[in-house]
Amino acid sequence: MIRELIQTFLSAVGVFYVLYMMGYASFLFLSVTVGSATLYGSKRRNHLKNELEGGHYVPVTIVVPAHNESVTIESSVRSLAMLDYQSYEIVVVDDGSSDDTSQILVDAFQMVRVDRPIWRRLRCQPAEAVYETWNSRVPITLIRKRNGGKADALNMGINASRYPYFLCMDADSVLQRDSLEKIVRPVLEDDRVVAVGGSVRPCNGAEIRDGAVVNYRMPRKLLPCMQVLEYDRSFLAARILFDQFNGSIIISGAFGLFKKSAVIDAGGYDATTVGEDMELVMRLHVFCREHSIPYRVRYATDAICWTQAPEKLGDLCKQRRRWHIGLYQSMTRHRNILFDLKYGMVGFISCLYFLLYELFSPYIEVFGVLVTALSWAVDFLNVPFMLLYMGVYVLYSSILSLTAFFARIHTVDLKLSLGDVCKAIGLCVVEVSCLRFILAWVRVTALGRGRGKKAVWGQIERKRINFDQGS
Amino acid sequence: MGSEALLYGYTAVCVSMLIFNLLYYFSLNRRDRRMGRVSKRLQTQVDRQLARLRWGGAVERRHLLYLERKLSRVANLTAFERMMTQRREADGEAASELLEYERQIQPVILHLAVVYRRKEDIQAAYFAWFLARHQTNRHMELDGVQDILVDYMNQDSLYCRVNAFQALCRMGSPRRVADAVTVLDRNGKFFHSKLLTDSLLSFTGGKRALAALLLERFDSFSTQTRLSILNYIRFHSGDYRGWVLPLMNDPEEDKELRLSAIRYFGRYVYPPAKPALLAFAADRDPLRWEYAAVSVSALAIYDGTDVTEALTGAVCSSNWYVRSNAAVSLTARGLDGGLSAAAEGGDQYAREMMRYQLQLRQARKEGAAV
Repeated sequence: MIRELIQTFLSAVGVFYVLYMMGYASFLFLSVTVGSATLYGSKRRNHLKNELEGGHYVPVTIVVPAHNESVTIESSVRSLAMLDYQSYEIVVVDDGSSDDTSQILVDAFQMVRVDRPIWRRLRCQPAEAVYETWNSRVPITLIRKRNGGKADALNMGINASRYPYFLCMDADSVLQRDSLEKIVRPVLEDDRVVAVGGSVRPCNGAEIRDGAVVNYRMPRKLLPCMQVLEYDRSFLAARILFDQFNGSIIISGAFGLFKKSAVIDAGGYDATTVGEDMELVMRLHVFCREHSIPYRVRYATDAICWTQAPEKLGDLCKQRRRWHIGLYQSMTRHRNILFDLKYGMVGFISCLYFLLYELFSPYIEVFGVLVTALSWAVDFLNVPFMLLYMGVYVLYSSILSLTAFFARIHTVDLKLSLGDVCKAIGLCVVEVSCLRFILAWVRVTALGRGRGKKAVWGQIERKRINFDQGS
Repeated sequence: MGSEALLYGYTAVCVSMLIFNLLYYFSLNRRDRRMGRVSKRLQTQVDRQLARLRWGGAVERRHLLYLERKLSRVANLTAFERMMTQRREADGEAASELLEYERQIQPVILHLAVVYRRKEDIQAAYFAWFLARHQTNRHMELDGVQDILVDYMNQDSLYCRVNAFQALCRMGSPRRVADAVTVLDRNGKFFHSKLLTDSLLSFTGGKRALAALLLERFDSFSTQTRLSILNYIRFHSGDYRGWVLPLMNDPEEDKELRLSAIRYFGRYVYPPAKPALLAFAADRDPLRWEYAAVSVSALAIYDGTDVTEALTGAVCSSNWYVRSNAAVSLTARGLDGGLSAAAEGGDQYAREMMRYQLQLRQARKEGAAV
C-alpha cells in the first residue's frame, strides 16, 4: 500500500518535473537563440553603420552610491571622467562610510566644500556635506550623507542630479568608454523609453586600458570563471528575449539608465527593499500602465559595464542570498501584476518566468534531489535512465551557456586563447552540474534567514580594479 | 520511449547549436579575408582610373559598369568605402584627383541609389551613410540621387532616415532638405527632435535660404517638427527676432514652442521682448512655473533695474527651478548690490541659493586666475 502511494507520488512528481524541465529547456533554447540572433544582428547593424552617434543629445547624470569603497572609488571615478560622451556629470553619494571614501575623492579631485541646496523631491537621509570640483573635464559632485542604504543613496543622487536622465552604477564597477553613448541610443530611437539596462560583465581577468578592453582572458580563479559563463547565459536569456516585448522587469543596479521625471513620479527607489533595482523597474511598469503612459523599458546589448565578480564562495553566497531576497520582496510587493491582463506580457510571461524559474527554482531543484534520494531508497530509481537524463541536462545547459558565451565573444571582437576556450568548455559543465546546486541551496536558505531584511549594504571583499588609464 | 525521444530531441538541438556556432565562426573569418581581397582588387582598379585622370583622361566606361555590378553588393560597398577612406587619408595633395574621380562616378551612385532603395532597410541605411561620407561636395549634387534620398524618409528604419537626412544636409540643397523635413513630418515616423535640429545645423548649403523655406512651411508642420525648426533657428541666427516674438506672445501656442521662443530671446537681446519676459518672470501661478523659470534665465542678458528687481523677486519664488535660475542670472549679471540684497534677505531658500551661486562665481574666478 505504502509502495503504491510512493509510486503514485513519484509518478506525479515525474510528470511535474518533465513539464517543468520542458518549459525551462524550451525557454532557454528560445531565449539563447533570440539572444544570439539579436547580438549577431546588432553586430551587423553596427558594421553597416546603422547606429546613432550623439554624445550630447541626452544629458546624463551618473549616480554612484558608495559605502566603504575606499579601495575602488578613485579608480572608478577616474574611469567615469574619461567616457566618450560630451554631456554628463558624476554625482558620488557617500552613504555614511566608516572608511575614508570621501576624503580619497576630495584629495584626488581637489574638491571644494560648497553650500549647495538640494531639492529633496525623493525621500532620503539629509546631506552632511557637499563637495564639487571645477578642475575636471566632467563636473563631479560628492555628497556625504547619513547612512540609509543603497536605495537611499541613489535617491539622494537623483535629487542632486541636474540632467533629465540618470545612470545608476556600483562604485566597484567600470564603464566601457563608449558605454554611455550606447546606453542612451534607445532613448534617441524612441522617446517613450523610460529605462534602459546595460550588459554587466565580470571584469576579473580583463585588462582594461583607457576604458576599453585590450586583453581579455578568462579569470584565473575558477569561481569567477564560472560566473562569466553564468552572466552571459542569464543576460542573454532573461534580458534580450524580454526586451522583444517590453517585458524586462529587472535592470541591474550596476548599470541602468532612467528617465528622471518618470522615476520621481513613480516615487524613486524603495529604501525598504534589498532588491531596489528590480523593484523600481516593476514599479515603473505599474506606474506607467496605471496612468496610461506610453512607455518602453529597453535593453542595450552593446553598452557594457565591467564589474567585480566575487572570488570567494562565501562572498558569492552572500551576494546570491541578497539577490534572492530582493527578488522575493519585489515579486511579493507587485504580486498583482501576475496574470493581470492590464500588464500584458509582463504579467503573463516575465513575472511567470521569474516566479517559476527564479524564485521557486531553488526549492524545486532541492526537492528534486530529495525525491531522487527517496526513489533510490525505495528502489524505484532507474539509474541508467537517470544518468542519461542528467547527462543530457548537463550537455544541453552547457551548450546553451557556451552558445551565449561565444556569441558575446564573437560579437564584440574579443579573441580567446585555446586554453581559455578549453577552460570555458570544462567549467561550464562544472557550473551546470555543481555550482548551480550549491547556489540553489544558498537561495533555499536565503528567505529563512532574511525575508524581512532591511536595505543595508552588502559586504563583499573589494579588490583594486585591474585597469590602466594610459596616457 | 517517449521520454527518451525527448532526450534525443534535445541532444539534436545541442548538436545543431554547436554546428551553428562553428559555422558562424568560420563565416566571420571568411568574411574578413574576403573583404581584404575585394578591397585590394578595387584599389587596383581605382588606381588605374586615377592615373588616367592624372594624364587628363576620363574614367573608363567599363570601370563604371564594373562598379555598378560590384557595388550593388553591400559587402563590396563596405570594402569600397574602406578603400576610399584610406585613399583620402593617404593621398594629401592628390585628393583633387579623388574628387574628380568621385564626380565622374556619379552615374554609378545614381544607379546604386535605385538599387539600394529596393534592398532591406539596413543596407539602404548603409548606402545613405556612404553618401553622407563620400558625396559631400556640392558641385557633385545629382538631382536624381537627392530625390531618392528624400524618398528614403519614408523607410521604416530610423537609421535609414537619419543617414539619408544627414546625407542631404551635407549635399547642401535647401529645397531638398526642406522637402525631406516635410516628408518626415507627414509620415509621422519618430525622428528625435534634437537629432533633427542637429542635422539641420550641419547643413552645408545656404542657411538663410533653408531657414526661409522652413519658415515658409512652418505652420503646416506638427508641433514636434516646429520645435526642432525653432531650435535650429535659435542656434543659427538672431535675425528672426521679429518673427519669433508673436510666437512667444501667443497664448494659444504650444507650451514647448513658447518656451523655445523665450530661450531665443535669452540668446539674442530684443528690447521689444523684454516686457513679456518680465511678465513671465513675475508670474507666480504654480501651473505656469516653466515660463517663469525659463524667462528668468533669459533675462540674464537684459539691462535695467526692472530686470534686477524681477530677478531679485524671482529668487524668492516658491518654485525651486525659478529660484535657482534667478540666482544663476543674478550672479551672471554680476550686480553686487542686487546679489548681496538677495543673499542677505529674509528668505532662507533665496539666501541658500544665492550663497551657492556666489561660491561658484568665486571658485570660477579663482580657477581663471590660476
